[in-house]
Amino acid sequence: MSGRGGRGRGRSLFTFNVDSLGFGRGEALPTGVQAPSPLYPPMQFRPVPLQTGEEVEYMLALKQELRASSKNLPFHIQPSAPRKDVARYSDKYQSGEAKCGEWTPDWSRLPKELCIKVQKSRKAKTKPVVKSKIKPAAPKEVLQKLENLEKKEAENQSEEEEDEEKKQKKTGEEEEEPDDAEDYNEEEFEEETDYIMSYFDNGEDFGGDSDDNVDEATY
Amino acid sequence: MTDVKVKKESTDVVDIENRIKELCQQFPQGITDQVIQNDMPHVEAQQRAMAINRLLSVGQLDLLRNSNGLLYRLKDTQSASKMKGSDNQEKLVYQIIEDAGNKGIWSRDIRYKSNLPLTEINKILKNLESKKLIKAVKSVAASKKKVYMLYNLQPDRSVTGGAWYSDQDFESEFVEVLNQQCFKFLQSKAEAARDSKQSPMVQRNSSFATSYEVWKYICELGISKVDLSMEDIETILNTLIYDGKVEMTIIAAKEGTVGCVDGQMKLYRGVNSIIQPTGLVKTPCGLCPVFDDCHEGGEISPSTCIYMGEWLDF
Amino acid sequence: MTAQEARLCGLLLREHFGEVVEKVGVHLLRSGTLNLRALAHETSTSLDLVKKCLCVLVQHGMSKFGPGRRGPAGPVEYQINCERVLYMLRYPRYIYMAKSLYGDTGELVVEEILQRGQMTMSSVVRTVADRLTQNMEDGQSMDYNEVINAFSNLVETHFLQRCPPVDSLGATVTTTSSSGTPESSANTTPQSAQPESHPDCYKLPQIHLSGRGKRRRSSGDAEANDRRAKRAKLENTEVCGDEGIYWQVNFERFHLHFRHQAIISAVASKLDQTSSEIVRTMLRMSEVTTPATAAYTQAVSANEIFRALPPSYNIARPILDQYLTLLVDDPMEFVGKTGDSGGGMYVVNLHRALANLARATLESVVQERFGSRSARIFRLLLRKKHLEQKQVEDFAMIPAKEAKDMLYTLLSENLVQLQEIPKTPDHAPSRTFYLYTVNQLPTARLLLQNCYKAVSNLIERRLFETKENKRHLEKSQRIEAILASLQASGAETAQLAEVEEMITAPERQQLEALRHHINKLDSSENQVDETIFLIESYINSAASSR
Repeated sequence: MSGRGGRGRGRSLFTFNVDSLGFGRGEALPTGVQAPSPLYPPMQFRPVPLQTGEEVEYMLALKQELRASSKNLPFHIQPSAPRKDVARYSDKYQSGEAKCGEWTPDWSRLPKELCIKVQKSRKAKTKPVVKSKIKPAAPKEVLQKLENLEKKEAENQSEEEEDEEKKQKKTGEEEEEPDDAEDYNEEEFEEETDYIMSYFDNGEDFGGDSDDNVDEATY
Repeated sequence: MTDVKVKKESTDVVDIENRIKELCQQFPQGITDQVIQNDMPHVEAQQRAMAINRLLSVGQLDLLRNSNGLLYRLKDTQSASKMKGSDNQEKLVYQIIEDAGNKGIWSRDIRYKSNLPLTEINKILKNLESKKLIKAVKSVAASKKKVYMLYNLQPDRSVTGGAWYSDQDFESEFVEVLNQQCFKFLQSKAEAARDSKQSPMVQRNSSFATSYEVWKYICELGISKVDLSMEDIETILNTLIYDGKVEMTIIAAKEGTVGCVDGQMKLYRGVNSIIQPTGLVKTPCGLCPVFDDCHEGGEISPSTCIYMGEWLDF
Repeated sequence: MTAQEARLCGLLLREHFGEVVEKVGVHLLRSGTLNLRALAHETSTSLDLVKKCLCVLVQHGMSKFGPGRRGPAGPVEYQINCERVLYMLRYPRYIYMAKSLYGDTGELVVEEILQRGQMTMSSVVRTVADRLTQNMEDGQSMDYNEVINAFSNLVETHFLQRCPPVDSLGATVTTTSSSGTPESSANTTPQSAQPESHPDCYKLPQIHLSGRGKRRRSSGDAEANDRRAKRAKLENTEVCGDEGIYWQVNFERFHLHFRHQAIISAVASKLDQTSSEIVRTMLRMSEVTTPATAAYTQAVSANEIFRALPPSYNIARPILDQYLTLLVDDPMEFVGKTGDSGGGMYVVNLHRALANLARATLESVVQERFGSRSARIFRLLLRKKHLEQKQVEDFAMIPAKEAKDMLYTLLSENLVQLQEIPKTPDHAPSRTFYLYTVNQLPTARLLLQNCYKAVSNLIERRLFETKENKRHLEKSQRIEAILASLQASGAETAQLAEVEEMITAPERQQLEALRHHINKLDSSENQVDETIFLIESYINSAASSR
């Protein structure tokens, strides 16, 4: 498309109706608009102002509070920690630090295949997150504080990890790094056995009293 | 039976018209309505008015004003004087145009009726136009179509488009002004009703206005250069219904009540919307002209959106 | 499930449960039904992580599981409930509603359960009492009994309900005929059993729990938290008698309440306050007796309405009759009359009201986005159904060229449709009527998708703004942390001021701007959700009245 049409010419080049923007026939268009049709054509109307008032403010506070505190709940699942190649084994011996709001799922309400044997849960435990400081002190704190908490939480995740995640998104299918994949296979194998075991194991209630080496997982 | 009656009436009208013309010839300086009335006391006012209106509209009568009031005068049959020097072809075309009255006639139809070649007709039309014997009027029905009629005629509504057209252009602003004025009237009526603190039923009923009331209000405002009919006003009131600002109810009414048509009366009232502007339109996305082209990572994206940027900084 | 729904679900899952749950959840959404191993494989996520994700999703009622296509002997299969995931957007509104109905205690009860998906009554009571105590003046504390009261109220009014019992999947293998409990496993997905089909759904358990909420020490004190955690653990093992009975939020009940509020405020806006109070009374009276999907409420007589009106309203009986007549006469038909007994029998036309609200919503969008004259055309088409372009011009009194442009714009945005009606079998364009029309239901569906996209856009923008200001935010947080510890150690004001000045004025300005942006984006999310709610309710009502 040539943007060279002189003033008043080439109006039909626009994908929108120029007149509807308030430019009358024969009126010169603002010079900036003469270029090939802009990425963001001028908007015809403004958005209606947002509602304000006590209810709106309170719901806003609730929303931000929920967002901040959800990061401190055990349901916020951390991606696998970036593992150092060495000392991988020691990871599983690291005892989890005091985690606020531990969650012990009621395994009677879940398929037992979801229960992670504690022994194998090194991935789950490798990234202890210090949350004690962040557990909201009082339920109705001001917005600012909650936002800060959220940011602080984000800060806790290492930059490295974030980068890795970005990379993962880009590469799509080939997400896992080589050593991850290796690890994954190993796990898969292990789980395979586990799965078959539980298959033959059917009928038995899956509680604390089942296998010796299967403890209830706590997230 | 009704058929016969109608026919009889129409012959009556023709009789009346002819009699009026005779009267006018008797008094070339003009006659008043009283003269006509005295001459034919048996004729009802309505019929008399109809005849006069018709004569006015086809250009046989002129309406003048003098110190005594309105005067009707026979239009001098210019054809005699002005057509002097015209040839027969010209006279024929003039006759055809005159017969077409204030609805006008299209040049192609003149050709059919006159059997003259189009080039000849165009020449004649130009000639007659320059003598100000006829005029060309653009029709609203088709923007490129011109119709011809005698120079001194007021074009028919079907040609001009009625009150809403001036020179074949639809007068949008005029319509919107009337739309606003009608709404203002209904709104203040509804407010007054609400403030009256009467019983709910009385409140509701007094918030209604008939089309006649609205028409009267608009006429008294004097904002219109042309005479608006009650139908015109109802057309405007309908736009308010489509604007979601007015509701209309039809009630049965006694024949003869003002504003009553066929035993029915239209009642209008200003109403509030059931919701405030909805949440979506409080965001730029709700109004965004490039909404469908927007996706994260794209050329147009939420992160880079300039509408969003402006709105956030506002 | 549409692409826009999936995108929004993903963003909401990320916000609440992190990126892993997002990845697993979205994949499950797109695939429909998957078993654990397929899910892990297809998302290239470790089995353990996928297990955790599924636990989280099941815990929050967002995912259900059951024996798969290969029968009870085959692997368990999982599904995710898109609708339920999207409810997360509405959490603030549920909580706010609970607050306005049952005060701060009700608010916290609902908030806790929403955040944890499901909880036993005893743990809700303890947690909420502690939280309330935390907010009280020193020396005061919250009695468990008060929380128990609020909880009981919420259950009695059906805002909370028991999670339906789940048979362990192990058991499902053997049972097809001789199952012990009535709602066991013959069903393919044990979890899909409707909560209300369970007789104890709203039955409160006997709990043995008395005492008061406890106060935590200052939040920075890790040791205290440690102790608290220990105490919590200890308490949780304490037997209260309601072990295994979990409660969840009954979203349908909340939605019913939102719907009623929308109808009431529509009546108030269209008619007046008193009319809306009458409708409120009618809705309240029939709340228990009217099924959620009913097109109108159970009929109530004018006599009954009169008795049920709040005494403060002071409406004389004849005046009530007038109001009812006006409500019935109103073109919106919020109220209908079904008979003459008892001084007249009346219903609230629920579906009609929702259709009107949805229509007004569509009109509002066209009005604000394309201007009032386009909205005039849109309403005209809604009313007159099928019109030729010339008719549109004439009725709307808009010049031909302008009307054509507007119709074209509305058409290209799919807000109006064009129908071709050939006059002759050869479909020749010159002998074809072109009729414009608006189809309310499909248009509402389209707009709903636009709303989902708009909310996703708002979230993306918020994430972007936060990321852009990461450095500033981190700095200000560090400084605030320093300030807090200085204050705690009794530092002098001069010293504090010095630290405070480490954030420069422009930085402060930027942070302030960021806060303004975030608030605006967050508030918009809440407000777009109101549009979403209305349109969803309308679409659901249209589906159920078929």
